Amino acid sequence: MKASNVQLMRPANLRGWLAAAALALAGSSGFAMDVPTLLKAADSYRMASQNMRVETQVATLNTDGSVDKERSYTVFAQTNHQSLVMMQSAAEKGQKVLMLGDDFWLLMPGSQRPLRITPMQKLLGDASTADIASLSWADDYTGKVVGEEACGEPARDCIHLSLQANRSAVTYQRIELWLSKARREPVVADLYVQSDKLAKKARFVLDAKNPNAVAAMVLQDQLTNHRETQVRYLNRKEHTVPETWLNPMFLVRNPSLQ
Amino acid sequence: MNPPPERLRRLPPRGATPVDRQSRIHGVCLTPVSSCAMRGAFVLRKFFLRSLLILAAVAAYATGSGQVQAAEFSGRLRLDAIDVSAADKGPLAQANAKVPGLVAPPADSSTLQAELRGSAGPVNAVVTLRQQYVDGQGSDSKGTVNELYASGTLTGAWQYTLGRRIVSWDVGEAFRPNDVVQQEPRRLLVPVLPTGRLVAMAEYFGANDAWSMVLVNADKERSKRGAEEPAVALRYYLRDGALDWHGIARYGARTHGSLGGALAWVATDSLELHASVRYQTAADTLAFNLAGPSPLAQANPWQPGSVRHVAQGLIGGTWTTASRFSLLAEAWWDGAALSDSQWDAWNARNRQLGAISNPQIPVSALAGNLAWQATAFNAGLNLRRLNLFSRASWKLGEWEPAVDLLYTPEDAGRVLTASLAWQGDSLRIDGGIRINGGPHDALLAQVPTRRSVFVYGTWTF
Repeated sequence: MKASNVQLMRPANLRGWLAAAALALAGSSGFAMDVPTLLKAADSYRMASQNMRVETQVATLNTDGSVDKERSYTVFAQTNHQSLVMMQSAAEKGQKVLMLGDDFWLLMPGSQRPLRITPMQKLLGDASTADIASLSWADDYTGKVVGEEACGEPARDCIHLSLQANRSAVTYQRIELWLSKARREPVVADLYVQSDKLAKKARFVLDAKNPNAVAAMVLQDQLTNHRETQVRYLNRKEHTVPETWLNPMFLVRNPSLQ
Repeated sequence: MNPPPERLRRLPPRGATPVDRQSRIHGVCLTPVSSCAMRGAFVLRKFFLRSLLILAAVAAYATGSGQVQAAEFSGRLRLDAIDVSAADKGPLAQANAKVPGLVAPPADSSTLQAELRGSAGPVNAVVTLRQQYVDGQGSDSKGTVNELYASGTLTGAWQYTLGRRIVSWDVGEAFRPNDVVQQEPRRLLVPVLPTGRLVAMAEYFGANDAWSMVLVNADKERSKRGAEEPAVALRYYLRDGALDWHGIARYGARTHGSLGGALAWVATDSLELHASVRYQTAADTLAFNLAGPSPLAQANPWQPGSVRHVAQGLIGGTWTTASRFSLLAEAWWDGAALSDSQWDAWNARNRQLGAISNPQIPVSALAGNLAWQATAFNAGLNLRRLNLFSRASWKLGEWEPAVDLLYTPEDAGRVLTASLAWQGDSLRIDGGIRINGGPHDALLAQVPTRRSVFVYGTWTF
């Protein structure tokens, strides 16, 4: 791997020079790459495949930085905006949230019936189910490149995108997103709800061992308690679920979905 | 004229009213207060010793469960305390005024309950162990198998379920006319997991629809009433974008056919609407039957009866804001409840019995007849046919204050509940107050319990 990289950088390698120059030109001028392409590149850091199983841990921090509570989730993120979130922590064990496009159901272990919920109800909680289950922007948002700005800590050159949801049921109707100019990974984002109020500020932490993956998303609540929530992606695997798992009536049966 | 004491004991068997049943105030002790009030410190000590034993068993279970392979276990432990005040209106209050202690008033209680869930392969089970202390009535231990069933794939998209299971249908919150299998009580003061019914079930699941066919209570006699009646039920579910449609049919061994439908619709990002309707050829109720010209009965005049051509319906919605405020409103009609004219006659009879002052008639006979009048509270799931319900709650971090009101427009009766919940990591604590009231003739002002103060903690593992 190293050898090939070195090979690319040799001045004698004309194609390598051209590629590097094109990348530099695209980066500096303006974002010759269009927004969908930029979003797809950013999405690949959290969702490497169309159908995934992601083990997620969510920690809510107190104002002094200590952990207030921790929750574990298994997320089956599938094509066509379909997701199934299974709560794994003792306090929530057995709860499930099914998201099929713009339609959402909550399943409680004791109730034995799926409860139809609104997009607003999905938002409830420090990290809403949408924060956990929504791992891509490319399909749900359109927008424009605002410009080139410094962002993140430490500060780096970033591309600022202003995104608007193309579906009403998406939790955040507007997102201001900053991608690193060099590698297009997400750096920070401002998440706005339907009323155009800033609901959360997000920053993304790359995996130290795998720089092509986001290891965590850190959310700062802006609406209520201003607390910090860390969403850590512990394990990602390509996984396609059977069709019946995406039927709310089937989930009432309390099937083993592991 | 004197109603035999043993017949008096047949009065409201458990929980004098639907309201009380839902409040888990398990009713009126039908033996005199003096004989109920007993055992004090000894019973309390026994209660806590047994509670400790349950705690130890749960702890051992929770510790050991991690070693079981290919099986899933979870559970929760709940400790609740309920303080109740008896109503000073209504037939039971009148009966006790005439013969103090004839019917024991609703009593304070404490309950420790462990709910254990497990599954291994196709077998699923939920068991509840309960230790309850009721002031003046002593302590009681109970173990319940709430669910024990096998389920799995029959073939392709067909699934089976066999055993005792909770099967809950319909879309409403405070009333579910189409909950035709489980028929679980709603608006409990402290949540209690119902005991499932014996079912044989086949279900088909498509991409957007599902069929469910259920044979329920096959082990029961055909004469069983209410939720214990043997029956077959069929449900079709269809997902149509923002709409969920449910079609339901049931055939009971005694009450015969009924048809129902329900829908849930996410109308906007913050508004969900739902509705249910059901028509029954017949429904179980209680009927007043007093033979002879005397206003006094020799036996409880409220006996099992049936009402024909019953319509039930509910409409409601939930509105939720970005600031985590939620408002639920529902209105429903329950044609299976006693009619206005029946309740008018009931009120008139209460007044008539209360006004009799004939020295020829023993006061115990009058009191017994008044106490029997409370049986009418058990006639159906709802006291009045028309009901309005609203609940407002606000999630503020770990805290969630809520207030709800059940209102019966026909007599201006009301049940007001205010509560506060705190949700920690594994621990949740709820507390609040429920007050039944209304004008003098309102049914909800005449139920045995006037006020309930409750607190309970739930630890999930």
